[in-house]
Amino acid sequence: MVSRLTANLQLYGALSADEQRAVENMVISTRAVAAGEDLVVEGDAPTHCRVLLEGQAFRHKTLPDGRRQIMAFHIPGDVCDLQGLFLGMDHNVTSLSAGEIGLIPHAKLTEVMEVHPRSARAFWSTSLVEAAVFREWMVGMGRRSAYARIAHLFCEMVVRMRAAGLVHQNRCSFPITQQHLSDALGLSAVHTNRTLQALRGEGLLTFQGGELVIMDWPGLTAAGEFDAGYLHQAGKSA
Amino acid sequence: MANGPSSEHARLIRKLETITTLSGDEKEALTTIPLRLKSFVEDTDLSPEGAAPTESCLVVDGLVCRYRLLGAGQRQIMSLHLPGDIPDLQSLHLSVMDHSLGSLTSGRAAYLPHAAVRDLTDRFPNITAALWRDTLIDAAITREWLAGVGRRTAHQRIAHLVCEVFVRSRALQLVEEGAFELPITQAELGDATGLSTVHVNRVLQDLRRDDLITWRGRSILVLDWERLRLAADFDAGYLHLLDEPSILTPRASRLRSGLAD
Repeated sequence: MVSRLTANLQLYGALSADEQRAVENMVISTRAVAAGEDLVVEGDAPTHCRVLLEGQAFRHKTLPDGRRQIMAFHIPGDVCDLQGLFLGMDHNVTSLSAGEIGLIPHAKLTEVMEVHPRSARAFWSTSLVEAAVFREWMVGMGRRSAYARIAHLFCEMVVRMRAAGLVHQNRCSFPITQQHLSDALGLSAVHTNRTLQALRGEGLLTFQGGELVIMDWPGLTAAGEFDAGYLHQAGKSA
Repeated sequence: MANGPSSEHARLIRKLETITTLSGDEKEALTTIPLRLKSFVEDTDLSPEGAAPTESCLVVDGLVCRYRLLGAGQRQIMSLHLPGDIPDLQSLHLSVMDHSLGSLTSGRAAYLPHAAVRDLTDRFPNITAALWRDTLIDAAITREWLAGVGRRTAHQRIAHLVCEVFVRSRALQLVEEGAFELPITQAELGDATGLSTVHVNRVLQDLRRDDLITWRGRSILVLDWERLRLAADFDAGYLHLLDEPSILTPRASRLRSGLAD
């Protein structure tokens, strides 16, 4: 499913058939990953980029006192460690579920981007959107209630997964535990659990066994004060 | 470069040279970017949320921040920007601003037309790499702030912010005898760290009482860098500076050695 990569890039700018082929041909090999596998870790100086083709993953960093902060969730089509092209890794990326990754050698990526500047813009745009997501999470953590934070995260994932064709009717797979949710949103496990119950109780969603079902989208976006603008999906908002 | 670069172009080049290596040709190409200079007073929007700018803003003098306003009139400051930074470089590729860029002090900005920057990035892959790298470091700083708001104590958050601005200022040669400018109010510091002004005030008193820093007007003097760094749980690795002196932990040293790759 290498086409997931080009589909993701094209959320931020059209690529010609030639450009798409050049991008897809950069993936020199694919391999299966197990759930909970570290795809790239802090301190690594990668020579390849890893594009997620199947399954989901998360970015995280453990602070010296042992507390973990999750900083993003990744879905198929995302390049997990594009920053490795220019910077060493200052955080980890770990898979959430069994899946598949594709490997892109940095040398090949550089070459394709030089020949096809539009592909460079699209790749750069994906890293800029990631940065916008980090900022949005920071705003949430600094200023939003637990209730709004959880609703906001679910809205974000639904919009991103819908653009990737991963939402069926009103359902999508989001294989995280309540612990992941707590570590992403800076909440205690008890608080997360109680807040999920409240969202369910109000008929906005159900979230069980890694499956998210949206029952009331307008209600959920209102609860999360969610505006998809920061995802910059031109003409593709939910 | 008959007349040499303007002081504004020199600021940009100096900043980029803290994070990457530029050839003579690349530096000369950067000096050809036409700049529109503009002075600003404090609390001005340089690039407001919702706008679709055709230029990016290079900070020449003064302190600038990115922020978002939330429904209840609350503000979250998401980053601080020093002379040489281009805080809205993202608008080169993401057309609509998803936050505002505003001044915290008076100062000067130089606006770079996107068309001129795109022309350079199409012709000089290493300039693309330098600017892209800058935006990635910016993202790394955001992640660090995210971890701070999520997981650090009030003391750590404030000390961490002081450490960050100190190290970034030093890389830009803006530190003199241990002192650097951080012209920010306690309310603004609260907006950046998710703390109340009262809480910020108490933490600053503690940092002073522990002889870590003194704050005089617009300026901070670092009295004991090592203890301040420990109090903040600060590791400069995420700033990915080329010449950061070895205050780093083994972990960050590994990160730096990765840059040689």
